[in-house]
Amino acid sequence: MAWGGDEDRRPEDEGEEELDEADYKTQKDAVLFAIDVSESMLEQPSTTHSKKADKDSPIAAALKCAYQFMQQRIIAQPKDMMGILLFGTEKSKFRDETGGRSGTGYPHCYLFTDLDVPAAEDVKTLKSLVEEGEDPDEVLVPAKEPASMANMLFCANQIFTTNAANFGSRRLFIITDNDNPHGNDKTAKSSAAVRAKDLYDLGVVIELFPISQGGKKFDVSKFYDDIIYRDPAAEAGSPDELKTSKAGDGLTLLNSLISNINSKQTPKRAYFSNLHFELAPNLTISIKGYMPLHRQQPARTCYVWLGGEQPQLAQSETIKVDSETRTVDKSEVKKAYKFGGEYIHFKPEEAASLKNLGSKGLRLIGFKPRSMLPSWASVKKSIFIFPSEEHYVGSTRVFSALWQKLLASDRVGIAWFIARENANPIMVAMIPSRTPDEEMSETPYLPAGLWLYPLPFADDLRDVELSAPPRSADELTDKMREIVQNLQLPRAMYNPLKYPNPSLQWHYKVLQAMALDEDVPEALDDATIPKYKQIDKRVGGYLSEWKEALAEKARSLMKSRAMKREAEDDDEEDGGRPAAKRAKPVAKAAGGPMSNAQLKTAFEKDTLKKMTVAQLKDVLTSKGVSAVGKKAELIEKVEQWIEENV
Amino acid sequence: MADKETTVYIVDLGESMADCHNGRDESDLDYAMRYVWDKISTTVAASRKTWTVGVVGLNTEETDNAQDRQGLEGYENISVLQDIGPMTMSSLRDLRSLIQPSHSYGGDAISAIVVALSMIEGFTKKLKYKRRIILVTNGESPIDDESSEDVANRLNDSNIELVVIGVDFDDPDYGFKEEDKSKAKAENERILRNLVEQCSNGVFGTMAQAVEELAIPRIKPVRPFKAYDGALTLGDPSKYPSALSIHVERYFKTKRAMPPPASTVVVNTEPGAPSQSQTINDEDTEMGGTGFSGVKQMRTYRVNDPDAPGGRRDVEFEDLAKGYQYGRTVVPFSESDLSITKLETKKGFTILGFVPFSSYQPFINMGETGIIVAQKLNEEAELALSALIHALHELESYAVTRYVQKDGAQPQILLLKPNPALEDEFECLYDVPLPFAEDVRSYQFPPLDKVFTVTGSVIKEHRLLPSKNLEQAMSDFVDAMDLSGFDENEDGKPVEYAAIDEMYNPTIHRINQAIRARAVDPEAPIGPPAEILLRFSKPPEKIINKAKSEIEALIEAAEIKKVPAKTQGRRGRKEPAKPLSGLDIDALLGETKRTTTISADNAVPEFKQMLATASDDATVESAAKQMGEIVRKLIRDSFADLFYARAAENLRAMREELIGLEVPGLYNTFLKRLKKSLLSGELNGDRREMWFKYVVGGRLGLITQDESEVSEVTADQAREFVTGSS
Repeated sequence: MAWGGDEDRRPEDEGEEELDEADYKTQKDAVLFAIDVSESMLEQPSTTHSKKADKDSPIAAALKCAYQFMQQRIIAQPKDMMGILLFGTEKSKFRDETGGRSGTGYPHCYLFTDLDVPAAEDVKTLKSLVEEGEDPDEVLVPAKEPASMANMLFCANQIFTTNAANFGSRRLFIITDNDNPHGNDKTAKSSAAVRAKDLYDLGVVIELFPISQGGKKFDVSKFYDDIIYRDPAAEAGSPDELKTSKAGDGLTLLNSLISNINSKQTPKRAYFSNLHFELAPNLTISIKGYMPLHRQQPARTCYVWLGGEQPQLAQSETIKVDSETRTVDKSEVKKAYKFGGEYIHFKPEEAASLKNLGSKGLRLIGFKPRSMLPSWASVKKSIFIFPSEEHYVGSTRVFSALWQKLLASDRVGIAWFIARENANPIMVAMIPSRTPDEEMSETPYLPAGLWLYPLPFADDLRDVELSAPPRSADELTDKMREIVQNLQLPRAMYNPLKYPNPSLQWHYKVLQAMALDEDVPEALDDATIPKYKQIDKRVGGYLSEWKEALAEKARSLMKSRAMKREAEDDDEEDGGRPAAKRAKPVAKAAGGPMSNAQLKTAFEKDTLKKMTVAQLKDVLTSKGVSAVGKKAELIEKVEQWIEENV
Repeated sequence: MADKETTVYIVDLGESMADCHNGRDESDLDYAMRYVWDKISTTVAASRKTWTVGVVGLNTEETDNAQDRQGLEGYENISVLQDIGPMTMSSLRDLRSLIQPSHSYGGDAISAIVVALSMIEGFTKKLKYKRRIILVTNGESPIDDESSEDVANRLNDSNIELVVIGVDFDDPDYGFKEEDKSKAKAENERILRNLVEQCSNGVFGTMAQAVEELAIPRIKPVRPFKAYDGALTLGDPSKYPSALSIHVERYFKTKRAMPPPASTVVVNTEPGAPSQSQTINDEDTEMGGTGFSGVKQMRTYRVNDPDAPGGRRDVEFEDLAKGYQYGRTVVPFSESDLSITKLETKKGFTILGFVPFSSYQPFINMGETGIIVAQKLNEEAELALSALIHALHELESYAVTRYVQKDGAQPQILLLKPNPALEDEFECLYDVPLPFAEDVRSYQFPPLDKVFTVTGSVIKEHRLLPSKNLEQAMSDFVDAMDLSGFDENEDGKPVEYAAIDEMYNPTIHRINQAIRARAVDPEAPIGPPAEILLRFSKPPEKIINKAKSEIEALIEAAEIKKVPAKTQGRRGRKEPAKPLSGLDIDALLGETKRTTTISADNAVPEFKQMLATASDDATVESAAKQMGEIVRKLIRDSFADLFYARAAENLRAMREELIGLEVPGLYNTFLKRLKKSLLSGELNGDRREMWFKYVVGGRLGLITQDESEVSEVTADQAREFVTGSS
């Protein structure tokens, strides 16, 4: 297939991990915000004296949300689309370029940002509206008559049909404070319901973000229950819980709306579906897998062609060539392993059988107390699993019983896990997570269910031969306890949501500034830098005391060690070991690596060059420095290390 | 950095080695060589120039060794088969042809050890080497005991390890004893055992054990890598005199081992072609008949250009600048500016604060573990770190830190866990990386312990929730399947089953074993995976038997029903979808003209609705026909690929709905015609991309019998249809 459309995918054997994640991304997402522009949406909140009071009108809050959503999307989902459609506006605008339908096609609908991967220009326009309140085209003027919802929904339909055809996920976010846009007008209501059904059949999911003002309840039964469908992809028993955004409880309307919209930021994409989970022979249920945790990296550089009017992304295509740069056809390509300077080849069916260590699935082999999970046993991120009724009816209740039992008994399951056909098997611990809103929950930012926590294989363990002798607790420890006790993180937990990745934030901040022709920011507000001033204030006193005690203890330890060494040296001399004839003045070859103090002495006395190459290499290796090179280079490296570290 | 190693194998090739003993159906030589080949091929696999191998044949028909040439006596029938040197595939092949049983038996094993010893001494001189001699023999040919003490001394002086592995040698530790052993063999065993015991570094074992242990995967040792050497701080020492700084070193504790990567190769072409004959022939000899050569990737770059044919044209790599994408805007950077998007960071390791054990769950770990110890021989650092470790341990707290491995590296959040040497022999901190805000995707799931109704009330008894009975059965099951004391150690004490150091990565060892086997014998078929690799792929038989009644009770309480394959994911004619209010939309639709015509603008919904309300086949056919026309028109009107995605979406809707209605023929007939039109250029130009990328790539091919029973197309025909050119 010359047009396989799989240019982004890596060859199968190389980097399976990446392949999985890439697969998972092929499903693209498009979100269209439909924001109601009305007198009440534009109303400024009444001014109070409280500092925490709302400063934003509902429309401003909605636009700010959309702006934040857009920025997050560029970072986290650079291939996904979004758009903004204002409805109920006095002005109307659809696309200028399409000849067929002009602005008059959808009266009181104003397509502010067309549905697409956002461009810098879109960000800029939205930013100036949101931050500076600049509205040169006077779009935020409500129409005198109410907009037809049917019309708005069909407008959205057309936007999705043309711009996001063939997308796996399409969502319409409606933000409004009006629970009854058509009052008692039955015809208008019916045609809206029909247009909503069209969207449903098109595969567009409508998410409603109601805003309630002044304590008025947003009553979905008046209109929106005819518009909204149960998400067909939702799990059985899923609550179609609508969260109304409002100011109050110390939360501004903006924060409330942001939190509601953020919870829908990423479309829920399964990493695998309907995988069989075998609890015991003849007891199988089906599960779905998700990756709620995934390391986000700045995008890689791309190649840009500057020959045109505007910089343009150059698409790359790869062709395979042999040593004579002859193009190689896919059918000729074989897989082989390098071995002893040659290639060892397996026939395709042999290669397939080598990879096949069982069919995909999750198979429980037993349970262990959680305390048996060594604290160092970590290799990669975990996968979240949740039951699915699609292949086995009753999966949910069995899964729930297991989850409850593991929580109650503080145990974990141990299982054999193959995520997909031909994936490499791994061993996992199955760890339950608590319901997020529970008081005791360690992870209020993650859903409740089971996690497949990959266990290291024996092959993954590094032997670190280090010998720090255990020490009994003493006054240094006691004093340190006071310091630890006084420096707890807020709410005594690490909540990742409070710590944006500084590298990622900086990358996109600079990029945004460059793309928008703005000044590059000078510094970043980096939440991962400790609050040094607070630390000094809270524990500075303890620390000073502690450091004094430490210095004293260290002095006496040094002394006692020196005495011990002398005693050992004496012993050795008494013993008159025959090996002594080869001993160099600086190095006690037999006695293990030299101490830093010895090295320093040797350095100062310029006796390092009397050491052998093997001894130098030992020293360098023990310091973690590369021990490659000629003797002169090795000496130089050792000297450099001493200068920097001793 | 690897240590240099040299190993000389002494292989007994005597007449008796060709015989089979003790019920084995392979000769003693083949049996012994299983061990030797495995060892040697492991060396080949390592591909290290500093790991050298020599091979000496004992009881060979010829005599070829330095001692004999010097005129020394007692060195007959000993031949150096391979001088010490790096091991490659070609030396492995040469060796294979030399390892054949002879018709001779006059060689002396101890003399052979002396030959090997001199080889090693001559090769390694006084350099730092790991030296080893491995002797495999069945101990049938006579040995002269006289000089064994001298030989042992010389081995010890030269720091050489002596390993003697005998076929059917007695080994009480392993539990092997050969019945009716010949006197001569017993005597030879005694001599060799005696020799090994005199060596300061010697191993004496029986072949059965050695062969058995071959199946146990060997883990490639990796030198500890120091990732960080510097200060761990609390506070900012550059600003606050109170701030604390401990000099620490950080190493990797876990690092995922990867299976050997497969290379993409092609068989070298046209061996007879004159222009290439020279190189091909060279490689042929080296590659043992089948020459492969690596495949390289060449990249070409294209940009959109409305004036170019097909809307795209190639550009030269030299004309391209680097840049980043910000949304769909491309931001070019000059090479010197590229780094300004990189956050400037300074190497450092600093504590943000502390959190209790109880606030942490291991499943938020993002990767591999590190280990942190105090700088060596730095008393202050040792004491300081130790106090921190113990304080954390006593308070059951972890430290949250910001870690920058070196200047310019991306900051990471590491959680430091105390390990106060209660069980392990040394104390240290372990660290694991934690997620940042951007790494958390907020997914909503329904609760597992309650069900919400549409009206928002909470139900505690529901088919999705476990009954009391099921809860109890699950609880008993979990208790019965406990692995914590399931295994037994050598003393018969209960120990943990499936401890981490027993779990080998099956993929890595499976591939490595197969590669080694193939290297030694290219003709042999690959065997099944070793049992030890699949040991943890299922629960141990014993525990299943033990927990039999609990399992049965659980199965009964669970009442799991498998959904028949046919109805899985099949939509069929089911209840029409209704909004939350339950409003009957179809009734509303009936009032419109929707049920007879499909508009191109709103094709997918109207197509679905027309089918949903269709009462006869004619309507279905008409809907499919209209949809087909819309697809063809979209493609015809498409500038380059502008409408391809829409056409594909309409096709997908058509395909899914017609499968649901069990009229796959309508789709298949249409698609066959469409393919012809696309490939023949009938639809206003070159539309091959629509076919390959959207139809084939989008899996919109013919509907097969697997998807719809009434289809007349087999899976093979469907495959042929998408790959075939007509």
